[in-house]
Amino acid sequence: MKRIVSIIVSVALILTAAVAFAGSYTIGIGQFAQHGSLDNCYQGFIEGLAEAGIVEGENLKVDLQNAQADMGIAQQIAAQFASSRVDLMVGIATPMAQACYNAAAGSIPTIFTAVTDPVAAGFADAQGNAAGEVTGTSDALPIKAQLETIRAMLPDAKKVGILYTTSEVNSISAIEEYKQLAPDYGFEIVESGISTIADIPLALDALLGKVDCLTNLTDNTVVSALALMLDKANAAGKPVFGSEIEQVKLGCVAAEGLDYIALGRQTGLMAAKVLKGEAKASEIAYEIITEPGLYVNPAVLEKFGIVLSDELAARANEVQ
Amino acid sequence: MNLLLSVLEQGLIYAILALGVYITFKILDFPDMSVDSSFPLGAAVTALMIQAGISPLLTLPVSMLAGAAAGVLTGVIHVKLKVRDLLAGIIVMTALYSVNLHIAGRANVQLFSFSTIFKNELVASLPAAMQPYVPVIILAIIAIAVKLLMDAYLATRSGFLLRATGDNATLVATLAKDAGKVKILGLSIANALVALSGCIMCQYQRYFDISMGTGTLVLAVASVIVGTQLLRGFRFLGATTAVVLGSILYKGCVALALSLGLSPFDLKLVTAVLLLVIIIFGGQGRKKVKRHA
Repeated sequence: MKRIVSIIVSVALILTAAVAFAGSYTIGIGQFAQHGSLDNCYQGFIEGLAEAGIVEGENLKVDLQNAQADMGIAQQIAAQFASSRVDLMVGIATPMAQACYNAAAGSIPTIFTAVTDPVAAGFADAQGNAAGEVTGTSDALPIKAQLETIRAMLPDAKKVGILYTTSEVNSISAIEEYKQLAPDYGFEIVESGISTIADIPLALDALLGKVDCLTNLTDNTVVSALALMLDKANAAGKPVFGSEIEQVKLGCVAAEGLDYIALGRQTGLMAAKVLKGEAKASEIAYEIITEPGLYVNPAVLEKFGIVLSDELAARANEVQ
Repeated sequence: MNLLLSVLEQGLIYAILALGVYITFKILDFPDMSVDSSFPLGAAVTALMIQAGISPLLTLPVSMLAGAAAGVLTGVIHVKLKVRDLLAGIIVMTALYSVNLHIAGRANVQLFSFSTIFKNELVASLPAAMQPYVPVIILAIIAIAVKLLMDAYLATRSGFLLRATGDNATLVATLAKDAGKVKILGLSIANALVALSGCIMCQYQRYFDISMGTGTLVLAVASVIVGTQLLRGFRFLGATTAVVLGSILYKGCVALALSLGLSPFDLKLVTAVLLLVIIIFGGQGRKKVKRHA
């Protein structure tokens, strides 16, 4: 018994020691769950670092861990990064970033990305100043632009349905903003909250009867069931708007949204500054992606008989 | 060393949870599904209180009370309304999800700028060399206290009845005791401990998240089984000690799987294999000890 414990501990210690080799940067990247947007964040992040001359395999050692949406594992990943004394911790998505920031305890800079509301998450104060050695990028949705686009594409629509998961804090902030802005564009928001992916079919059936179209947030659970949502919405003849490029690829009409690779790249550039010692994390204010892109799916547009205005057509990126 | 510390810290937090589940799962033979929600219930109560500026120490008893109430609810639904044990737990688990959201106010509440039992003026005044060990010391004190209190309770008259109810409810009836009441009591103690564990976890990670309870029951049951199975040969250790050690071992397995640096896909598989290996190895070690004796 004792021997087993000591073997486990010593193997673990050797492995963590082996990670820290000299002459380059070692970073720990914790990704909360595995899905398209977060994977893109990671890919973009590595590209951003490379742009700044920090290249994986040359002068960068990356320890990538995925918590598989398990809070307990997220904690352990963060603790592991802290104990192996990485130069920088990166948390992708809110719970993972919070776990990293907590484990870093001020001694290791933490970079976050794909956090919708950094103020609510505790990374910055209301003025946008960093709460500690922590900074990063927010994936707050360009909700105003999204409402404008829906209005331009569907001049007669009145009710916009949004399906969201009550456990996702990002979705809740987004819903609040949608409700606040919708009247300006003559829309009424009809929301439907679910708690697990199994609730989606029933919630969708109920929601589709009440609305003229659907719009998506970056809600992880709902996005996982996007194919089902598109099937049901298409059958009901209601268009679905997305919140990022991947959703448009899957069959949403259009999205004023984020390109998570670009978001990751922006984050990578910030991380490079911290790694090179050009600035401390606490001195860099968190950033939001500046220019949302309009992504449209021409095949789906045609199916719903939507014709783009000249203004929209000029800046739309067509996605197949 | 740091890694060992974090395994110990997390193992001790989950040990309190596992001790609670030991009561329902092993002693009462009651598959209490409500654990997945009573764990975040303790955390939600804690987040609410700490944000309101109430002393972090006070969160411990209050979250235990909240957990106990949840346990009583499961018990009453099962015993008085005659709903099957599994379903009674599922009903309470489902209901508590909404209750937890209402208590915490939102799905994710951060406590980075508030003092907790691990981070306060008293702790800050300790010498710097001691600082890294403070959480593990605090946790060890709480976990050992819980274990000793539980040992003491199980040796009382009421504790004997609790154990008898799980083994043979008819016997309890012949003693002119109400087995139903004993079950309700057991569930309330168990869920009080589960909520206490949630309360401590919330202060340790310094945020509450509504989904932090997902998979709690599985983790606790695994800790209980690893502990009791592996340390069966060491009679002097006692079941409660075995459960505490089981929880630490379980966390150790996850830490080892993580530090092997395999593809994220394989994390759970590797954890499972490590657990299996430990149980098999542990079993052999035990037999050898006996043969030499």
